[in-house]
Amino acid sequence: MKALLNKEFKLCLHPTVFIYLALILMLLIPNYPYLVSCFFVCNAIFFIFQTARENGDALYSAMLPVSKAQTVKARCLFVVIIQAIDLVLLAGMCAFALVSMPHTNAGGTDHGLTLLAFALVLFAIFNVIFLPSFYKTGYKAGSAFLKGAIGVWIWIVLAEGLMIASPAIAFSANVPFFRFIAVNLDCFPKTATAWTAQAIAFGAGLLIYAACTAIAVRLSVKRYEQVSVQ
Amino acid sequence: MKILEVRNLRKQYPGFLLDDVSFAVEEGCIMGFIGRNGAGKTTTIKSILNLVRADGGTVLFEGNDLWANETESKKQIGLVLGEFDYYKRKKLKTIAAVTKRFYADWDDAAYETLMKRFALDPEKKIAELSQGMRVKFALALALSHRAKLLILDEPTSGLDPVSRDELLDIFRAIIEDGAHSILFSTHIISDLEKCADYVTYVKDGRILCSTDADSFKDAYRLVSGEAADLPRYRDRLVGYRAHAFGFTGLMKREDAEASGELRVAPADMESIMIYTEKEDGHESAAE
Repeated sequence: MKALLNKEFKLCLHPTVFIYLALILMLLIPNYPYLVSCFFVCNAIFFIFQTARENGDALYSAMLPVSKAQTVKARCLFVVIIQAIDLVLLAGMCAFALVSMPHTNAGGTDHGLTLLAFALVLFAIFNVIFLPSFYKTGYKAGSAFLKGAIGVWIWIVLAEGLMIASPAIAFSANVPFFRFIAVNLDCFPKTATAWTAQAIAFGAGLLIYAACTAIAVRLSVKRYEQVSVQ
Repeated sequence: MKILEVRNLRKQYPGFLLDDVSFAVEEGCIMGFIGRNGAGKTTTIKSILNLVRADGGTVLFEGNDLWANETESKKQIGLVLGEFDYYKRKKLKTIAAVTKRFYADWDDAAYETLMKRFALDPEKKIAELSQGMRVKFALALALSHRAKLLILDEPTSGLDPVSRDELLDIFRAIIEDGAHSILFSTHIISDLEKCADYVTYVKDGRILCSTDADSFKDAYRLVSGEAADLPRYRDRLVGYRAHAFGFTGLMKREDAEASGELRVAPADMESIMIYTEKEDGHESAAE
């Protein structure tokens, strides 16, 4: 697995990955749906798959002393590593925003653990759609990405929409559910309740990410076993 | 000792069936795997190495199930699928550094020697190499991890005659120690005449024969005769070509020897393949 990961970093890593990861700076934009920055990381992952495909990585890997399952698992681990780097950067930017951007985000989720939880779910959705879809053929990266992107954008609209709408609904109609979201989830946590609520959200996000990614890997391996490497 | 044994390999594609393919590669030998384009050579090789999932059959490497011990078996096998056509914008030294990490037995000294022998510059990118040099680079990688068996799919296709001849010399040198074997697919039959010890012939997804090169050639004779003789011998001809002065064709040795008035000559591999591949074995070509 180490040798395969080394191959991923040395041969498959597309330079745009760094550019897309740098788009984490979008978190400095005032009043913006910050989940969008995570979509760009999905874009970077698509570029990795496309680069590998165009360079004949499937055949090159098949010549190496590894099984098809191992090549799939290594690529999925590579994806997880990139997503983990983005989440670490996201956490760092949230901390930085606490001191530099004290105002609340009217454009979507605030800098906080909820944003990290939403990002985890976003990556979970992308992984569970994109990876098995790609490995069904081993080469159709474009259509797999399109399906993954649709899933991701539905989630962005729902999650950010909920965060934008919650304060308005909470304070105009006084609905407790939306009030809870507005006060405890859509903010940088400062109270014990907010910390607890966001920690639970983050934990749930982690669980969803782990479950979806595990399903994605399993399905991808199963599907790729049936693919003829060309 | 058989280093590779393929038993009853089967793969069904829409419009193509690789059916009941069986043959064995002996240690210290070169086996030529011949057949025309689309006969099933690459599908067989890919199925052997699990790149294509076979529908049935068994592949044994040194007596052990290759598919069950895929990773360990592949460490002993050098696979060259034509020229090295991957990551063309990467330098040779980068590809080699990545590849060597997969092999505990990687031999740096052997790799350096091969790179010098093939006049390959590690600072060059794959895209900067000629077709022949890419094949040589693929061979250098395959030979640097002490592979016991080299499986080469059309390594000489597209090379000029000098490069092809040079490669065939390399193949002979590789097996000289008796510990290495080569399975070498090609449709350039003249290459096999120069280096193959054994021949396996695949036609329309089926093995037509798998035998030593001399027996393969000795089983047939080239015959020629007058146009008037053709109707009498037509059924015994594997294939023939009619022309203004008569006909030339291919016969099984025993049939040729029994024919009185035909001119008989030894058959070469290329003629055997050409006449065998003629549709229904009896396609005529008026000239």
